Amino acid sequence: MSAEKRPTMQLSQRVYGEIVYWGTVVAAILCMIGPYISMKNPEKNVMNPFYLFAAIFEGKDTATIWEEVAGGFPGGHFYLDKFFYGDGFTQFALALGCSVAAWALIPTAFLYLKEKNPTYTVLCLWVALLITLSMIGIVKA
Amino acid sequence: MSRMFRSPWLEVNIMLIVLIISFTGMYLVGRGLETPPGGMSGTAIFAWLLGFFLLSFGIALVAVIGGIGGGVLFTPFMLAFTSVDSLIVRATGLIVAMFSGLVSTGPFMRGGLANLRICVFCAAAYGVGAFSGAQGAIFVAQNLGETGEGIVRLALGLILLSLAIYFILGGKKIEWPEVKKVDKFTKWLKMSQPYYEVSMKRVIDYPLTRAGWVIIAIVGVGLLSGFFGLGAGWAIVPAQNVIMAVPLKVAAANSGVLLGMGDCIGVWPYLLMGAIIPVFAAPWLVGQVLGGLLGALILIKVKAGFVRYLLIGFMFFACFGLLTKGLKLLGVMGEVPMWLNGLVFLTICVIVTVLIVRYIKAEARLGGE
Repeated sequence: MSAEKRPTMQLSQRVYGEIVYWGTVVAAILCMIGPYISMKNPEKNVMNPFYLFAAIFEGKDTATIWEEVAGGFPGGHFYLDKFFYGDGFTQFALALGCSVAAWALIPTAFLYLKEKNPTYTVLCLWVALLITLSMIGIVKA
Repeated sequence: MSRMFRSPWLEVNIMLIVLIISFTGMYLVGRGLETPPGGMSGTAIFAWLLGFFLLSFGIALVAVIGGIGGGVLFTPFMLAFTSVDSLIVRATGLIVAMFSGLVSTGPFMRGGLANLRICVFCAAAYGVGAFSGAQGAIFVAQNLGETGEGIVRLALGLILLSLAIYFILGGKKIEWPEVKKVDKFTKWLKMSQPYYEVSMKRVIDYPLTRAGWVIIAIVGVGLLSGFFGLGAGWAIVPAQNVIMAVPLKVAAANSGVLLGMGDCIGVWPYLLMGAIIPVFAAPWLVGQVLGGLLGALILIKVKAGFVRYLLIGFMFFACFGLLTKGLKLLGVMGEVPMWLNGLVFLTICVIVTVLIVRYIKAEARLGGE
């Protein structure tokens, strides 16, 4: 089948694309600001920036690095308690970017429902649920 | 209104301004910082952050021109030539692969080249694979120690070798696959979606088939991606194209969207166990987003097919580094002498140069005809 007129993209597809795109841009901008906060207030960091890169390039494993420069790993969502810390803020930006698909899939599922397409509503919710479970850390090895 | 104040240039400009202010601030602050005993100076920290950003930005630009995902370049390079723990490299590699996919999602969705239904369908399977792969990587790192590090590098070296050969041969891809029979399951899913093909100036609709089989392939691809921290566009594209008969261009656009969506599942086990170190990962992320956007805006029309040869050459060299480092970690061989590294590098350079010269001559001949 072929025609010459551009087809209009479904709202569900456009909404997903826009939320992911802008979410990614915001996460990137926050990731530019985070390291600056880290350097501006070196004492306001979970990981001591003066020792961090040396520990990474010495090939130390993650547990040792966190132990040596932060006194132990505070958990993946440590930004909730240390939001105004340099690395706390950066971790928040990473978490935002790493969950952006979930935020986009929920309204997309709703729009698929409005478009009378229950199969993709379920699939969108399934993928959003997988991201959420992975994010919360309920499913662990 | 000038196009510089309209999307996508507007956000690119905002990002560039924030980036310049941020790095200038870091440099000024870094100069004034007092270095604690045994610590790194503020200027050195600034230099590392800037270096990571520039490298990531370069990788993103080259990836756009060469049509190869950023993760395929980042992870092997870091594992082969730095002593950074493999789990940190793979976790950051997943961020690199994921964000180059995420940033391409908007334009592909708007333009209609990518098909969200196919992406969501595949992501339901890919996510399970990527999540399991990430868990496997953490298990190996926590239980196998140096042997695990060696095995990972060796396995990645072999994957990279087959990938480089695959890129040379071109792989089995069909621009417009022919569908003889649409099975009931695929028909029920109603996945096909017409799109406007710019090169042909017409709307193309495409039938699909074997959606059930593609699930199995995509779970496997997700597993690889999650375990090794590689973007897996090189496997997702042929899986969709050859199995499900998705047109090549649509499959390529879908792969970016799918990587962004699916790796949102695979990346969290790494984040929750501390393998993603925020200040280390942030400049890599920024480089991918900005490099991906700028590359797509400025360089996508640059005809630079020879970049592909450079990338393949790089892959062979990274492969050599990975295999030798893997064997060394397993105690099979000792440290590779510098002269041998240099010789291999030089040989690859010569071969790549010959191929590029031949390519340019062939292009010139075609242009003259």
